[in-house]
Amino acid sequence: MSDADTTTTTEPVQDPDHNMLVGTAEEREREKKYGLQEIPPEEVPLLPGELSHHPSPFQYVVIAMILVVITALEVGVSYLEGDIPNGLIIVLLLGMGLVKLVLVASYYMHLKTDKPVFRRFFIMAAVGAIFLYLIVLTTLGVWDGGS
Amino acid sequence: MEQAAIAPPADGAHASTPVHAGHGEHETSTGVTNTKLAMWIFLSSECLLFGALIATYLLYRGRSKGIEPADVYNIPFTSATSFILLMSSLTMVLALAAIQRADYRRTKIWLVATALFGMVFIGGQVYEFTEFTRKGVTVDTNLFGSSFYLLTGLHGLHVTVGIVWLLSLWGLTTQGRLQQKDSETIEISGLYWHFVDVVWIVIFTVVYLIPM
Amino acid sequence: MTTTLTVPKVKRSIFRRPQATTGFRSWFTTVDHKKIAIMYVTTALVFLVIGGIEALLIRLQLAGPNGTVLTASQYNTMFTMHGTTMVFLMGMPLAVGFGNYLIPLQIGARDVAFPRLNAFGYWVVLFGGIFLYSSFVLGGAPNGGWFGYTPLTSSPISLGALPGRGPDFWTVGLIMLGIGSTTSAVNFIVTILNMRAPGMTLMRMPVFCWMMLVVAFLTVFAMPIVTVALTMVWWDRNLMSNFFNAAAGGDPLLYQHLFWLFGHPEVYILILPGMGIVSEILPVMSRKPLFGYSVVVFSGIAIGFLGWGVWAHHMFVTGLGPVAVSAFSLSTMLIAIPTGVKIFNWLGTVWGGSIRLNTPMLFSLGFIAMFTIGGLSGVLHSVVPAATQQTDTYFVVAHFHYVLFGGLVFGIFGGIFYWFPLLYGRFMNEKLGKVTFWLTLIGFNLTFFPMHILGLEGQARRTYRYAEGMGFDALNLAATVGSFVIAVAVLLLLVNILVSRRHGAVAPHDPWDARSLEWSVSSYPPPEYNFEEIPQVEARDELWHRKYTEDESGRLVRLPSGGADAPSAGAVATLEPDARDGGGDGGGDGGAVVPSGGGHGAGGHGIHMPSPSYFPILMCAGLPVVGYGVVFQNWYLGALGVLILIVGMYAWALEPSSE
Repeated sequence: MSDADTTTTTEPVQDPDHNMLVGTAEEREREKKYGLQEIPPEEVPLLPGELSHHPSPFQYVVIAMILVVITALEVGVSYLEGDIPNGLIIVLLLGMGLVKLVLVASYYMHLKTDKPVFRRFFIMAAVGAIFLYLIVLTTLGVWDGGS
Repeated sequence: MEQAAIAPPADGAHASTPVHAGHGEHETSTGVTNTKLAMWIFLSSECLLFGALIATYLLYRGRSKGIEPADVYNIPFTSATSFILLMSSLTMVLALAAIQRADYRRTKIWLVATALFGMVFIGGQVYEFTEFTRKGVTVDTNLFGSSFYLLTGLHGLHVTVGIVWLLSLWGLTTQGRLQQKDSETIEISGLYWHFVDVVWIVIFTVVYLIPM
Repeated sequence: MTTTLTVPKVKRSIFRRPQATTGFRSWFTTVDHKKIAIMYVTTALVFLVIGGIEALLIRLQLAGPNGTVLTASQYNTMFTMHGTTMVFLMGMPLAVGFGNYLIPLQIGARDVAFPRLNAFGYWVVLFGGIFLYSSFVLGGAPNGGWFGYTPLTSSPISLGALPGRGPDFWTVGLIMLGIGSTTSAVNFIVTILNMRAPGMTLMRMPVFCWMMLVVAFLTVFAMPIVTVALTMVWWDRNLMSNFFNAAAGGDPLLYQHLFWLFGHPEVYILILPGMGIVSEILPVMSRKPLFGYSVVVFSGIAIGFLGWGVWAHHMFVTGLGPVAVSAFSLSTMLIAIPTGVKIFNWLGTVWGGSIRLNTPMLFSLGFIAMFTIGGLSGVLHSVVPAATQQTDTYFVVAHFHYVLFGGLVFGIFGGIFYWFPLLYGRFMNEKLGKVTFWLTLIGFNLTFFPMHILGLEGQARRTYRYAEGMGFDALNLAATVGSFVIAVAVLLLLVNILVSRRHGAVAPHDPWDARSLEWSVSSYPPPEYNFEEIPQVEARDELWHRKYTEDESGRLVRLPSGGADAPSAGAVATLEPDARDGGGDGGGDGGAVVPSGGGHGAGGHGIHMPSPSYFPILMCAGLPVVGYGVVFQNWYLGALGVLILIVGMYAWALEPSSE
C-alpha cells in the first residue's frame, strides 16, 4: 500500500540552506517561465469530477478584479440611499450580490467546469432555502413594515 | 474500497489518489469522488443553516426597538474587511492551482495568505463587535443585537474553523505530506472556504447594505 | 471458505491501530457497517423500552380521572421525554441502523463511503441519549414538550417559567444528536450515489435504498433548520437574547415555523424507512415483483419534495391568516396522493400473489392497514375547520401514533423478523412471532383507537389529568390496558431476539427465496467484506433474476445454481483487482450454497477493508463534555470538550482509513 509510485519530478526537495521546500529544479524552471500567467492546460491533470479544465490563475485574478469592482459599485449604490428609491437600491444590491455569488460559485468553486451533479445539489439547496424562508417571512408578515 | 475520512481538517495522508491503481474515484458510480460529493452535500445543508439566520435577521430588522443598524454600522470599515475576505478566495484558488502543478512553494504561500486574510477579517469582526458593544449593542439589547450577533458570530466561527484548517494544510504541505496527487484535499478545503466567503457576500449585501 | 483479509501490523509511536475485528473490545473501535448497525438497533430497542416505560407511566396516570400517579410537573417530563426518546433515540436510530446494515449489501458494496464517520454517528446517538437522560439527576429532565415551544422553553430561568436545566439539556442534547444524524445522512447519500455495484443503476436499486436516499436528503436539509431554532432557544434562555421575547418585538411563532420546517420532514424521515422495508418484504412473501416499482420510487421522491411544503399544518390555530392556512391545507391534501399511491401499489403487489403469511408478512400487512387509518385521520387534519377542532386533542395523538407506531414500528418489527436470518443464520421463533404480532396489533388498536373518540369528545393533550364525569373514563382505561398489552408484545419480541440468536432454527441460504442482493452473500452473518466478489448487476431484483427465468407461459423456472451459470461468472474480468476472489471460480452467490475455492485473488491481493479506529468514539466523547459545559455554563468543561474534539479530529484526519 505504499505510495511510492509517484514520479520523482513531483518529489519535493529540501533546500538545505533555507530549510524550506522550494521545489525541484524543473519546478523552478517552470516558475520562471510561467509565473502567474497561463499554465499550459495539458500539464495540469484533470481532477476527478472535472468535465473541463479549471480556469487558469490568470482567469482567477480577472474574476477577482471583477468582484472588487462590483463590491465597490455595491457600496456606492448603498450610499445613494435617499437619492433614489429604496426599492431600486434593493434590486440593484441584490442583483450585484447575486452576480458575485454566481461568479465565486462558478469559477472559484468550479461549478462551471465540474460535473453537473454538484451544481444540481447546490442550486437545489440554495433555491429551496430561499423559497422556504420567503414563505416563512411572508407568513410572519415581514412585508407589513414592522409591528 | 478505501475512502478518506471526511472530518476536517482535511485528511492529508490519504486523500483520493488518481494515480493509484485499483483504488479511487474512477470506480464511483457517479464518477466524482466520495469526499468531494460529501463536501458539496454538507455545503448544501449549510445553505439551510445560514438561510434561517439571514431570514431571522430580515424578519426582525424592521421590528427591532431601540438602537438601529444605521447607528452603529461602519460601512467603509466593513467594506474593507469584506474586500479582504473576497481576496482570500482568490488566494485560496491560487493555492489549488499551485498544488495542481506541483508548485509547493506557491501552494504554501497562497495557503498562508488565505489564512492571513481570514485572520484579518476575523480581527475586523472582533473590532466591529467591540465597537458595537461600546455603542450599546449586545446580544440582549434588542432584536437587532440578537439576530446580528448570532448570524455574524456563527459565520465568524465558520471562518475561524477554516483558518485553523488552512494552517493545518500549510503544515502538512511543509512536511511534504500533501502533494500534487492530493490536490483534491486542497480543492475540498477551498470549497468550504469559498462557501464561507459566499455566505459573507450575502450577509454583506443583505445585512449591511440593504436599506430598511 | 477462507478469503483472508490483509491486515498488516503497523507500529506507531502513540497509538497502535486497533486490529481486532472480533471480541468485545472490537465493538468500540469497529468501522464495519454491520456491527455499527447492530449497535444502532440494539441501542434503539433499549430506548424503545425506556420510552415505552414513560408511556406506561403516562397511561397509568390517565387510566382514571384525577390520577395521582404523577404530579403535573412529572407528567410534563414524561410526555416530553417519551416523545423525544421515541423520535430521536428510537425511530431515527432504528432507521439508520437498518440502513446501515442493508444499504451496502443491497447495492453490492463492501461498506459505506466513510466507515469511521459511520461509527462516529452511532456513538453520537449513544452519548447523546445518555446525555439527555443524565438530566434526570443533573438538574431536571426536559419538560417543555418534544417540540419545545417558545416562549415557555426560551424564557430565562430567572423568570421562572421552566425552572431547572431541562430545556437546556433538551436544546443542547438535540443539537448533539443532530450532528450525528447529519453525518450519517451524508454518508448514506454518498454511499448510495457513489458505491453501487457495476450495473446497479438507480432504477435497479431496491426500494429500501431509494427510501433511505430520500430520507438522507430530508435529514441533511432539515437538521440545520432545527439547529438554528434550538440555538436561538438556548440563547434566549441563557444569554437573554430576544428572538422569542415578545416584549422586545420577538415572535414566538418564528420558532414554530423553524421547528416545523424541520419537524415535518422529520416525520417523513421516520416513516419512509418503514415504507422501504415493507416494499422489500411484500414482494418476497407474495412471490411477485413490487407492483409499479417506478411509481413507488417516484412517490417516495414526491413525498420528499412535497414534505417541505406542508409544515404549517402544525400551526393552523396560531393565527396565520386565511391565505397561509388555505395554502398549507391544499399542500397537505396534495401529499396524500403519493402516499396513497404507494398503498395501492403494495396492495397490487400482494394481489394475486402466492402469499406466505409469516410474521414479517403479517407486520407488513398490518403496516398497510394501520398506516392507512393514520393517513385517513391525517387527511381529516388537512381540512382546516376540522383541524381547528382537533388540534391539541387526543385525535391528533391517535393520528400520529397510527402512522408512526402503526407505520414505522410495525415495519421495523417486520423487518427484524425478516432480516434476522441474515444477521444470525437463524430464524426467530415463528410461533412466538405470530403471538407478538397479534398482541401488538390488538394492544396497539386498543390503546390508540379510542383516542380518536376521546379527542373528538374533547380530551386535551399534554394535560396530566382529566376530571370525573367528562365521559373519558372507560376509553382511557381501555387505552391503558392496551398499552400494557403492547408492553407484553414488546417483551416477547425482545425475548425472541435474544433467545433466537443462539437457539433459533438454523436458516438455510436464502431462506425466504428473496429478491435482493443482501441474501446472496456466502454466509450468514455475511463475512466482514460482504461479497466474495462485487456482484455484476443486470436487472432489478437481481437475486431473483439470477435464480429464476420465465418460460413461454410466464411460469417461473428455476435456474440451476452453481458457478458456471451465475451471471457474475462472466463479469469477473470487469471487477477491480482487490475484489477478485481467485480467478474464475465465479460468484455462484445467486441462490447457491457457499462457493468452494477462494482465498487470495490473482496477484496476492486480498480484500482491503477499512481498519478499526479509536478515534470515532474518542472524538465523540468530546461532545457530551462540551454539552455539560454549555448546560452548566462551565467554560473549563466546555474548553476541555472542545480540546478532545480537536485532538480527536486531527488524529482521525491524519490516520489513513486502512493500514
